[in-house]
Amino acid sequence: MLRLPRFTYHEPTTVGEAVRLFTEAMPDVAYVAGGTDLYPNMKRRQQTPATVIALHRIPELRAIAGTPESGMTIGACVTLTELAAHEAVRLRYPAVSHAAHVVSTPILRNMGTIGGNLLLDTRCNYYDQNYEWRKAINFCMKRDGEICWVAPSSPRCWAVQSSDGVPVAVALGADVTVTSVRGTRRLPAAGLYRNDGIQYLEKGPDELLVAYHLPPVRDGDWRATYRKLRRRDAFDFPVLGVAARVDFARDGSVSAARIVLGAVASYPQEISAAADAIIGTRLDEGAIGAAADAAYRPAKPMDNTDFTLAWRKEMVRVHVQRALQDIRAQNT
Amino acid sequence: MPAVGTNVPRKDSTEKVTGTARYVDDLVFPGMLHARTIRSTIPRGRIRDVRLSFDRAGFTIIDHRDVTGRNVVALIEDDQPLLAEREIRHVAEPILLLAHEDLDTLRRARVDIDYEPLEPLFDPTRSTQLLKDLRIVKGDVEQALAGAEVVVEGEYRTGHQEQLYIEPNGVIAVPENGGVTVHGSLQCPFYVHKALRIALGLPDDRIRVVQTETGGGFGGKEEYPSVIAAHAALLALKAKRPVKLIYDRLEDMLATTKRHPSIVRHRTGVTRDGRLVAMDIEVLMDGGAYVTLSPVVLSRGAIHAAGPYRCDHVRIEARAVGTNTPPNGAFRGFGAPQTQFAVEVQMERIAEALSMDPARLRELNALRPGDTTATGQRVEADCSALQVLQQAVERSDFHGKRERYAGTNRGIGLSLFFHGAGFTGSGEVKLASRAALCTTERGVRILVGSAEIGQGTRTMHAQIVADSLGIPYEDVETGLPDTSNVPDSGPTVASRTCMVVGGILQRCASDLRERIGDMHPREHFTKHGATVVTKEYEPPHGIAWDDDTYRGDAYATYAWACDVAEVEMDPDTYEIRPIHFTAVQDIGKAIHPVLVAGQIEGGTAQGIGYALIEEVVMREGAMANAQMTNYLVPTTLDTPTMDVVIVETPSHHGPFGAKGVGEMPIDGPAPAIVNAIRHLGLDIRQIPATPERIAEAACVSA
Repeated sequence: MLRLPRFTYHEPTTVGEAVRLFTEAMPDVAYVAGGTDLYPNMKRRQQTPATVIALHRIPELRAIAGTPESGMTIGACVTLTELAAHEAVRLRYPAVSHAAHVVSTPILRNMGTIGGNLLLDTRCNYYDQNYEWRKAINFCMKRDGEICWVAPSSPRCWAVQSSDGVPVAVALGADVTVTSVRGTRRLPAAGLYRNDGIQYLEKGPDELLVAYHLPPVRDGDWRATYRKLRRRDAFDFPVLGVAARVDFARDGSVSAARIVLGAVASYPQEISAAADAIIGTRLDEGAIGAAADAAYRPAKPMDNTDFTLAWRKEMVRVHVQRALQDIRAQNT
Repeated sequence: MPAVGTNVPRKDSTEKVTGTARYVDDLVFPGMLHARTIRSTIPRGRIRDVRLSFDRAGFTIIDHRDVTGRNVVALIEDDQPLLAEREIRHVAEPILLLAHEDLDTLRRARVDIDYEPLEPLFDPTRSTQLLKDLRIVKGDVEQALAGAEVVVEGEYRTGHQEQLYIEPNGVIAVPENGGVTVHGSLQCPFYVHKALRIALGLPDDRIRVVQTETGGGFGGKEEYPSVIAAHAALLALKAKRPVKLIYDRLEDMLATTKRHPSIVRHRTGVTRDGRLVAMDIEVLMDGGAYVTLSPVVLSRGAIHAAGPYRCDHVRIEARAVGTNTPPNGAFRGFGAPQTQFAVEVQMERIAEALSMDPARLRELNALRPGDTTATGQRVEADCSALQVLQQAVERSDFHGKRERYAGTNRGIGLSLFFHGAGFTGSGEVKLASRAALCTTERGVRILVGSAEIGQGTRTMHAQIVADSLGIPYEDVETGLPDTSNVPDSGPTVASRTCMVVGGILQRCASDLRERIGDMHPREHFTKHGATVVTKEYEPPHGIAWDDDTYRGDAYATYAWACDVAEVEMDPDTYEIRPIHFTAVQDIGKAIHPVLVAGQIEGGTAQGIGYALIEEVVMREGAMANAQMTNYLVPTTLDTPTMDVVIVETPSHHGPFGAKGVGEMPIDGPAPAIVNAIRHLGLDIRQIPATPERIAEAACVSA
């Protein structure tokens, strides 16, 4: 049985107390919400914080506020089960609800939170292994080692962005609020991620993600969708995620679009050429095919998740096409 | 009211449902140490040097020099050391054992091993290390092939498969009584008992093996517990303290046995109207680094290789060879899933070659009572291959759907298969299993070495005994086997626990009934004290087997089944989704229909995993995906609706007509699914049929 290492555990009841405790314990400290990512990682010694600060007793992080017309704010500790089932989210932000619903299994969704999902550690076949396994290959650069086993001559880590929620957040143009003793700031979700398997977040380690802001949606002004590829219909992380948001002008033509790929890079990869291919069109098959081709070309899956590379790359085309067809169907 | 044929509550249900059942890792003994195995990290080479780079205080350390008996895992051959001496033949080979009372200290202990690496061999077709070969010959294949109107040839490949029981391997060894007691998660207490006697050099009565509640086995706890038990026992005897040795999932997947990968070649001669005239079959199995159970896995595989078909000229040449991967071993089906995958896809290709309906081809050739199998065994009146086929075809609307699905993204395919119950050939005679009944103040107690591993042993045995004695099911007591107080009923393997051990129990019951007259055993116990009746296996009359020629009655009897798989394929991604499954399985008699249906559904799900998603990725001789996040098995969402039909054509060899049910369900799903994919026009001859492989096949056929 894999066991947790020893650590000091705090359960603050306010955000203020949480950030203060965090700052005091820096640098060897981590926040935990549902624990479905952190605790297994700790058992495998991928992360070994001496102090863990639990967020589940902070009521303000558990609220869902606002309306679709004005935008909604989801507290970071809202569970994936709650988010997927929330009526307004389900009806007006079906991509958000669906992405939450396809994470892992019901049991993990009951614990896992949207905040944790948006900050999910990057994953890799050479990293998501227990200590003994990683030691046997002399570790990798993401933890304890020097080299990236996916691309041994590479100076960087290629671990993969593997959250279902992240591509959706970026495609939607959602914002997040982070806070620390240094202050509070709101930033676009797109600005939260970096294309690096180790330093995959553009925020300070002390900055606590407290809220997820969904943009306003009025009837039919934009639609979004999320498609997830994996070998089974439960448990598995995405091997490819495709999130798309398409904005429609009054005449029904596409006025703006954002197409974002998950699980093909260390960050959610926005493919603007794919969006350009549909802007001004009415999502006819030709435009969708052009967008799918545009997404296929730059997508470069690495050899660090399930399925063979060539097949995964081919699937980018299929899933972008289906995502856009899905949006077209929603709009009619 | 009779218990047999009804769904009585399981004997182990209350404890398991309420969480009071105790598994090996729940047990704690005073002064207990934890143990860890230091294993090789190379697939082949020699150990040059072992350096212990830690403070040894509080540690018990064992290497091959500490083995007090013989340094072998006592199975069929004595080729596998308990602890490597110098030569390394596979990754994860045990070299050193450490024990300490603190798990963290134990885990931190650093051992450095220098090796002189040698070139490993992973390709079984290039192996010169023969573990076992055998030949089954009936008639004259060459002549019959030469005269055949049509000859179809093909090669079929299957990969490793991991048993993936929920509870990993684990034992606790406790020094006591001048010897050692091992408590553990296992299928075969007396296998472990024998292995310990040889490893420790202790007399029989100083060794005791007690099964703890066991979270699944599927064959994976048939032979491996002998290794882990000997390791823990050696440590416990040296430390003079109890020692717990539990594998985590990674270690269990890296180090313990898997299903043998296979390559099977067929050359089949048929008449234009679809009669089999000659079957020439070559079976190659990859045994991994040591012999373990490969000879008997190969044997069962070979005997089932021609399928449930009548054919006068058959030649089966089978070989198991060594490679530098961890040894492969027992897994539900035991060689038969591999060879029946091959023959059933071959049958489909024959039907294609003849432009014949695949069900019709099987109907023409299915064994009927009085026909002989490849080994020359005359099948008896309980041979129902034809009936299960016809019932499955009708019930699934096979022909209607075959037409309706044509040209859509749906396909339907079937497989006809059989499975011999009990040990192969003279195995049961050599085992000479025993079982006993003992009267108690409640009624009667069953004393067997058979293990409950989730499949329902205790419940099913109690039903057989209750009805044979004519007492209520509730008055029959069962328990976990303990070698110090139960007779050796043989291992819990080979679909034998109902037919063979249940049969002995039935004889015990009728003997006991004669002894106690009309009395309830409880009443007899009160008046006369405990009465024990022990019976030994008696070979059925008219059963003969020749080990040298592989001729004769390979099994007392066979169970028969037909699976129909319906799948849907995504035309762009080539992902296959099974949408419906029909399993018509004749197992003689369902002692407990719900448990039987559970075995069929579970075996079918495991077979669907084998067919579609379960892939052991081997890199440099080590399983690269040794964890449950990337060795994937089907979840409920990946398992189709199943129409399970239990057929009961009684066999006079088993209690109440029962045969075996544990293994057969895993023989049929893979060929049925691959044949359904063939119906979609895709030539698949290798499993798992992953979307990547199907996409490749689609490119070739496009």
